[in-house]
This record gives sequence, structure tokens and C-alpha cells, in this order.
Amino acid sequence: MQRQIEPGPVAARPLPAPPSRYWFQRHRRRLGDIGTVGLLLLVLFPFVWLVQMSFRPNADILGYELLFTPTLAHYRALWTGAFPASFLNSMITSLASTVLAMAIGVPAAYALSRSGFKSSRRIALWVLATRMAPPIAFTIPFFLAYRHLGLSDTLLGLIIVYLTFNLALVIWMMQPFFDGVPRELEEAAWIDGCGVWEAFCRVTLPLSAPGLAATAVICFILSWNDFFYALVLTRTNASTAPVAIVNFIQYTGWEWGRIAAAGTLVMLPVVLFSMLVRNYLVRGLAAGGVKE
Amino acid sequence: MPARRLAWGAQRRRSFLLGIAPAVLVLAIITIAPAVYLVATSLTPLNLTLPGTAWDFSAPAANYLDLAEDPRFTRSVWIQVKLSVATVIGQLLVGLGVALLLNGSSRIRKLARSGFLIPMVLPPIVVGILWRVMYAVDISPFHRFMAFIGLPVPSLITDPNWALTAIVIAETWEWFPFTMLMVLAALQMIPASPLEAARIDGANDWQIFRFVMFPYIQSTLVVAAIFRLIDSIKAFPLIFVLTDGGPGDVTEVTNYYAYRQAFTFSLWGYGSAIATLMVAGVFVLSYLIDRLTGVAHAEAD
Repeated sequence: MQRQIEPGPVAARPLPAPPSRYWFQRHRRRLGDIGTVGLLLLVLFPFVWLVQMSFRPNADILGYELLFTPTLAHYRALWTGAFPASFLNSMITSLASTVLAMAIGVPAAYALSRSGFKSSRRIALWVLATRMAPPIAFTIPFFLAYRHLGLSDTLLGLIIVYLTFNLALVIWMMQPFFDGVPRELEEAAWIDGCGVWEAFCRVTLPLSAPGLAATAVICFILSWNDFFYALVLTRTNASTAPVAIVNFIQYTGWEWGRIAAAGTLVMLPVVLFSMLVRNYLVRGLAAGGVKE
Repeated sequence: MPARRLAWGAQRRRSFLLGIAPAVLVLAIITIAPAVYLVATSLTPLNLTLPGTAWDFSAPAANYLDLAEDPRFTRSVWIQVKLSVATVIGQLLVGLGVALLLNGSSRIRKLARSGFLIPMVLPPIVVGILWRVMYAVDISPFHRFMAFIGLPVPSLITDPNWALTAIVIAETWEWFPFTMLMVLAALQMIPASPLEAARIDGANDWQIFRFVMFPYIQSTLVVAAIFRLIDSIKAFPLIFVLTDGGPGDVTEVTNYYAYRQAFTFSLWGYGSAIATLMVAGVFVLSYLIDRLTGVAHAEAD
């Protein structure tokens, strides 16, 4: 029951708040907005600083005047070194691993969503365990095995390792999307003469398109961002962009302009992509943790 | 058409098995096989510079016995605990605070959400580099500003007393958006009526948060904490770029110690033993947390 607010005489109203508090209440919304912008600038300061450093001429690399003549010299220097090859390696491994994980994981996620097998829960736990296990537990055996399999320092080796987290992610993330597609639609397709997988491809898959896109993008981001596996399992041929940055830190020292430019290039794709999948990010990164 | 329906069911079943099979096979090869290999290696004194140490199971428990008496290992576990607890608490507090600030309906705050999640999606190595810039005395705008106003601050990452704090700050910065996004999603699920009712009854902001909003986001905070706790055990790129485990070994967490033993000192058997214990620890932690939160949920209901 809510209290009845009586339109009583003026004297019965509560005393007006002191003016300062009054002002605060009135401008509450605007103050919140100002606070938001201020905090955002503060939080993103290190990020913005690195980007601006990448455009500063070497002579003035440490400067902090807001006005300076931007230069692309650092980017040009990167272009002539070994960096483009590493960037390409990152592209190839991330894309290939994403495609492979989707090709294997999507049918499995669909089957787990629809089948109601008794072992479904066990498979789900197994997938979750893969997500939880520390990478060091994978890198040691993979490193040792790759020496015998000829996969050390190869793109294929890296693509396989990235499946350890991408496959688990696809299976976890796609299931709820398939759960959301009504079975009746598939049955209708069956009555029209489609097989199980044909119905899946023609009916279920198009309806889950946003989920597919978000899952693929998150797979790409996770592979692209990997540092540890690439550091350990590659040397020169297959080294990815994050490893390349560390390499030239080790060989040429802290050349800030070049490092800032390389860092900016490496983060560019993920920042753009993550804006596309903003709404799915938590589901992807917390895959398995949100019980539904 | 019952006969057709049955056929539909049977065909579906067969197709589903076919759909799951490749994934199970691949997962077995890339997860179970390495796990077995890891545990097997941990029972040997494998050292790639010493031939004959592979598959030498003559003293299977040797690595584990050594670990029990390795003060550097014990210290690494303790450093890990400090790092994990500090970053998880930091992330929860900052993430919750920013989420509450952004929960408003204004356009600016809706737009700002995309900006605040940037730290989380950046490649960890880039996060390491930009904090390395912030912590380098001669380059960092912060350090130079402090020097300019006459209060020079020594670099955090080279000071044994502050290096771990430096990592905690960077890690908190990187991962508070995770909690923020989860809490924001939970806040949007809160129905409007209890909030209005509380406001009409004259509840102040703190009371509304504590007694109306908090019960709705409690379980989300627990889930976020679990995730970040388990992921904090994997901390590597930040430490690699910022301190390399130093100065001394004050930022050498267990993960880093295992990496060094295996990849730097070539003590693969010993490194594998540490990694095996880490996996066991993560699983025990997951199980315990699952039980504890299960109890908490039951009590809340």
C-alpha cells in the first residue's frame, strides 16, 4: 500500500532543503554527465597518450604540447621492417582459427542445444574446464609435442592451439542462440522435405545470424589478442604482431615512437570490432559463467 | 503422421551425433591429450639440455617433493594470492561504481559505455606497453608532472615495495569494464516499480542502492568475481612487459614461475609439476566457488 499524499496546507509540507543541496538535486543529471565525461577521459588517458605518441616526431617524442605536427615516420619505419609480415601472420592465424572453430563448433552447439543427450552436461563441463585451465598447462605439452610434429614456429601450429579456447567459446556461446529458435520451424522444413542439416542450414542458421557474427568476432579478438601462446610457440617465421612488438623492444631497445605506432596498429582492429559486438561481449567473455 | 514423426526423431538423433562427433574428437586431441602429456611430464625430470631425461619415471614424485621445499614456489603462490585478491576487489569496486554512474538514461552516458569498455578489449600486450609508458619516469606524463610541481615520484615498477601495486593498478584498469558490463546488464533487469516505491517512501540514494538495487545485482557480482579470480591466475603479459617478475622476484606469480622453470631454465618436468598443481588449484577453486555460491543462492531464495 502506498501512502496517500494529501494536498494539505502549505505548512504541512516538509521544510525546503538547504539551497546547496537543492542546487545539487536540480543539476544532478548534468553533473552526472560531466562526471561521466571526466572519468572517461581519465580512464582512457593512457590509451590516448600512446596513440598521440605514435604520431609525434622523434625529436619531440616526449613532448606534451597539444599542438604538434603529426608525422607518419614511425608507421613508415614499421612498414619497412619485419612488422608487416607479423601483422599478416596475426591476420591469417586469427581468421583461420575462427573459421575452423566455427565450422567444428557450430554444428556441435546446435546438436547439444537440440538433442538432450544425457552426456550434454558432461560435455558442457569439459568445455568449461578448458576455458578455466591456465594456458601454461597447454603451452608446455604443446611446445614439447610440436618439436616432434614439426609444428614449432608454424602458422598451423598456432591455429591449432587457438582452437583450445575458440572451440570452447563457440560451443558455449552459440547454444543459447539455437535454444531461441523455435523447433516448429525446423519441423515445418522437415515436412517440406528437408533433412536435419538442410533444415538447420536453411532455417536455423539464418535466424541465428547475429549470434554467429558476434561469436566469430569474439573468436577473432581472442586469437588476435593472444600473446602467451605466440611467444612460446613461435620464433621468427610465424611470430604474430604482439610478439613482434616485444621482439623489437628486446633487439632495438625502447624506441617509443615505433613501439607506440606498432601498439596502435595492433589495437586498431580489436577496438573497431569490439564496438560491433559490444552487446555480446560479456556473454562471450563470461561464456559458461552465466547460468541460464 | 506418427511414423514420419518417429523417423524424424531417429534421423535427428543420428544427425546430432554426427554433429557433435568432430568437436568431441578435436577437443579430446587438443585438451585431453596435452593434459595427459603434462601430468606424465611432471613425473619425469625432463630437461631438454640433458638427453635421457624424457620418459624417465624412476622417481615419479621427485618434482612434487622438491616443490614442497621450494621457498620460491611458496612465495610465488603467496604473491599470486595478493595479486588476485587485490585486483578482484579493485575491479569489483571500480566496475560497480562506473556501472552505477552509467546507469542513467542520458545519451552521453549511453555513448560512454562503449568508451569505458576499451581497456578490456585491448590486446594485453598493448595494455602492458601503455602502462610501461605511464610508469617510466623519464617518459610518463604523470611522473613528469609530479617532477614539474616539485614532488618527484620514483618509478613504481622498479621499487620492490610498489611493483606489485603497479601490476594491480594496471590489471584493475584492464578488467574493471568486465564487471561494469555485467553489472550494467543486471541493473537494466531491475523492474522500475520497487525503485519508484522506494523513492516515494523517501529512501535516499544509499538506501535505494543497498536495499533495492543490491539484492538484484548480488549474484552478478559473485559471478564476475569468480571469473576474474580464475582469470587472474593466468596473469602473464602485464608482468612480462612491466616487471619481468622483478625487481628480484616480488612480482613473480606462480604462472610466471612455471614459465621460467620450463622455458628459461629448461626444467620441463619441474615446470609441468607446477602447471599441474595450478590446474588442480583452478579446478578445486571452481568447485568450491560453485558449492559456496550454490549455498548462497539457496539461502537467498
